[in-house]
Amino acid sequence: MLMEVKSQIKATHLSIKYALQRELLNKFTFISNILFMIINNGCFIVQWIVLYSLKQNIGGYSFRQILLLWGLAAMTYGISRFFFKEAFNLSDIINSGKLDNYLIQPKNVLISCITSSVEISALGDILYGLIMLILYGLSVKNVILFLTCGILGSIVLTSISIIFSSLSFWFGRTEMVANTVDSLMTNFATYPEGIFKGIIKIMFYTCLPLGITTYIPVKLISNFSLPDLIFIIFGTFIFTSLAFIIFYFGLKRYSSTNLMNARI
Amino acid sequence: MKGVGSMAVITVKKLSKVFKVKVKEKGLKGSLKSIIKPKYNIIKAVKNISFSVDKGEIIAFIGPNGAGKSTSIKMMTGILFPDNGTIDILGLDPSKDRKRLAYSIGCVFGQKEQLWTHLTPYDNFKFFGAIYDIPESIVEKKIEELRELFELEEFINTPVRNLSLGQRIRCEIVASLIHEPKILFLDEPTIGLDPVVKEKIRTLIKRMNKEYKTTVVLTSHDISDIEKLCKRVIIVNKGQIVLDDTMDNLKYHYLNKKIIDVKMKEKVNLDDVEGINILKDKDYNLKLEVDLKKKTISDAINLLNIDNIIDINISNIPLEEIISQIYKDGDK
Amino acid sequence: MKKYLYIFKSELMSNLQYIFDISIGFISYCILIYIFLNLWQYVYSDPSEIINGYTMKQMIWYVIITEILWMSLSGRKYNRKICNDVKTGNIAYNIIKPYNYVEYSLFSHLGITTLRFILVTILGIVLGFIFLGSFPELTVLSIIGVLISCVLATIINTLIITSLGLISFYIEDTSPIYWVYSKLILVLGTIFPIEYFPKIIQPIIKYSPIYAVSSAPAKLFVDFSLITFIETIIIQIVYFLACLGITHFIYKKGVKKLNVNGG
Repeated sequence: MLMEVKSQIKATHLSIKYALQRELLNKFTFISNILFMIINNGCFIVQWIVLYSLKQNIGGYSFRQILLLWGLAAMTYGISRFFFKEAFNLSDIINSGKLDNYLIQPKNVLISCITSSVEISALGDILYGLIMLILYGLSVKNVILFLTCGILGSIVLTSISIIFSSLSFWFGRTEMVANTVDSLMTNFATYPEGIFKGIIKIMFYTCLPLGITTYIPVKLISNFSLPDLIFIIFGTFIFTSLAFIIFYFGLKRYSSTNLMNARI
Repeated sequence: MKGVGSMAVITVKKLSKVFKVKVKEKGLKGSLKSIIKPKYNIIKAVKNISFSVDKGEIIAFIGPNGAGKSTSIKMMTGILFPDNGTIDILGLDPSKDRKRLAYSIGCVFGQKEQLWTHLTPYDNFKFFGAIYDIPESIVEKKIEELRELFELEEFINTPVRNLSLGQRIRCEIVASLIHEPKILFLDEPTIGLDPVVKEKIRTLIKRMNKEYKTTVVLTSHDISDIEKLCKRVIIVNKGQIVLDDTMDNLKYHYLNKKIIDVKMKEKVNLDDVEGINILKDKDYNLKLEVDLKKKTISDAINLLNIDNIIDINISNIPLEEIISQIYKDGDK
Repeated sequence: MKKYLYIFKSELMSNLQYIFDISIGFISYCILIYIFLNLWQYVYSDPSEIINGYTMKQMIWYVIITEILWMSLSGRKYNRKICNDVKTGNIAYNIIKPYNYVEYSLFSHLGITTLRFILVTILGIVLGFIFLGSFPELTVLSIIGVLISCVLATIINTLIITSLGLISFYIEDTSPIYWVYSKLILVLGTIFPIEYFPKIIQPIIKYSPIYAVSSAPAKLFVDFSLITFIETIIIQIVYFLACLGITHFIYKKGVKKLNVNGG
């Protein structure tokens, strides 16, 4: 078991390394992609400067907490898109029969597949996340908690995308569902939880787990509490397990390229 | 049934696979309809097939597009789950022991690339070495060996994206041999290649089979692939095995005829010549079927008189015709 | 002119069959409006409160309109198309055709934009009505005024994006330029009316293209007056003529360069 995990990690490491090498072929594009993403995220701060000129407190957050919220949103988005890029194209991969190559390798299909390419601009998001953390306030505790929450949150984002993309095993062209959920996760993550009311709040702790990816982490870093940390870890575990279970359950119905051929 | 015994490395029994394809009508109305009340077409891709393959054999699955060749191979390699029936590959069930099985089989899909195109073949081979948990030193030795066998010297250090299709396929095959698989599955390995390159690939596959005693299962819709490589052939059509026989038998019964299309300067009378059947005779264009058991090709051409020929084309009987011939024979 | 109207019409008709796929793209529009609804409901502690001259409902309608303009334009795709035309040399084929490339691009893009505009406007109005329960004060005159202003805004925006794309004649990758432009519009012209910004930069925004292509029609919709309307239309017409001239200028210069290089 341990050997298997070790060899899986080695293979994943190589896969990400080669995928990164591929993107490094064009250095100018590489650097400009990262830079533009940082500026892109930075633009939105204007919005919050204007809003905080109207009110000292929005949704229970101070301006510093908004910076932290943005930092976490960018960090979780960045890590998930950089390391697990293909999890966000999974619907299409399933429909077009591109899982074949990973199915004939003696490794975990899902992990091999989602780590087979990297999104360069996501490095800009990761850097932006770190810049926001610096603006919020650097301390050993903050850095450790921020990175932990960033990694766990990105795993949850990836899991959510896998869960909704796996619908394609049953229903075919459903990438729209997964894309919508992914964009909901991204859009809500940059607004304070406190401005929302009603049923959407229940969704933040169930099918759109922004509570786990961003809202509780903001609370945790501002004001540490062990139960919150345990809740995040437990939530991540649940969503990751669900992603694997649903994906492998669906895989039995995988049809490779046969459906495409049949359509033509 | 052939090849049943202790030597069998592949045993397939009563295998079936059905696909449900959503039918979508065109336009807005069609889109809405397919959401509310989807219509499905049931396609029986593989219907109740059984066969077995012995160690060291080269066996071919042939059949027209959509006959179920690829679906069968994909079930044997663990890509697709069968609906019914059992598969035993080297004592393993692909749908349950996919990962364990992957260590002992290799696959090449002619229409799908496994290689990283920005890397050199050499780096690719090392990547696959790592995927199959092979120690570095052993991988290097293996690459060295395969480099010679597959004549890769010229381009082993050129990025894959700069290679020709034929060179790529050679690299794909080598990549799938790094972990010394006991069985190699080749799905349409020669698709899209020109005849010279096809011939090269065939020679290399044959050499590899001789060297390592690797069992090879390949699919193709090119009958010359099979003629040159295999001792045994399985013909599939519409998801069923139509014929499972030795190449010699198949040749004797079905591949002993050639079609000659000629354009002549003058008319020639070939009526009542034994072994030649005139299919079409219009103006100066002739279409002949030559029975090779009775007449050789050169005899037939001599009868036409070489000086009299403006244009000539010699071809095999199309696979579809052979299959329908087999069907007809089966009905009798 | 007749042939350009024909181009416009055929582009619109041919996209009608993809109406379903186009509509799916508007899900993100709904999400955005929902978020802004919540945001402004929170910021305005009392619905009758007025901030910088706007009520809460006006603020939400403002975003509904600016986002309609932005969503229906689909500028990034159009910019990429122009860049590709230049890079692939496709544009060279257009030189020999009996129409002008600038007008051709403008009208064919307006064809698809019109369809998207109609769809997303219906969606925006329905969403606004569900969320807010009422419309701003509207008259026949104001509706016509807003529509004229929207059309002008879209034409100006298309022309600007065309000329940004045509810069591909001179530099390799123009996507960053478009990108900066789109961010400026988003930050300064989509979320807040200009009154929300510091006094010093308000005139800069007002006389920049950002106002002409995004803020102006939305402001007219939430707070119509004949004077603002006339003022807006004058600004827009000036921008329209200027942009038309600049785009043709860049195109002509670029094509000459292309000819010198031998395509």
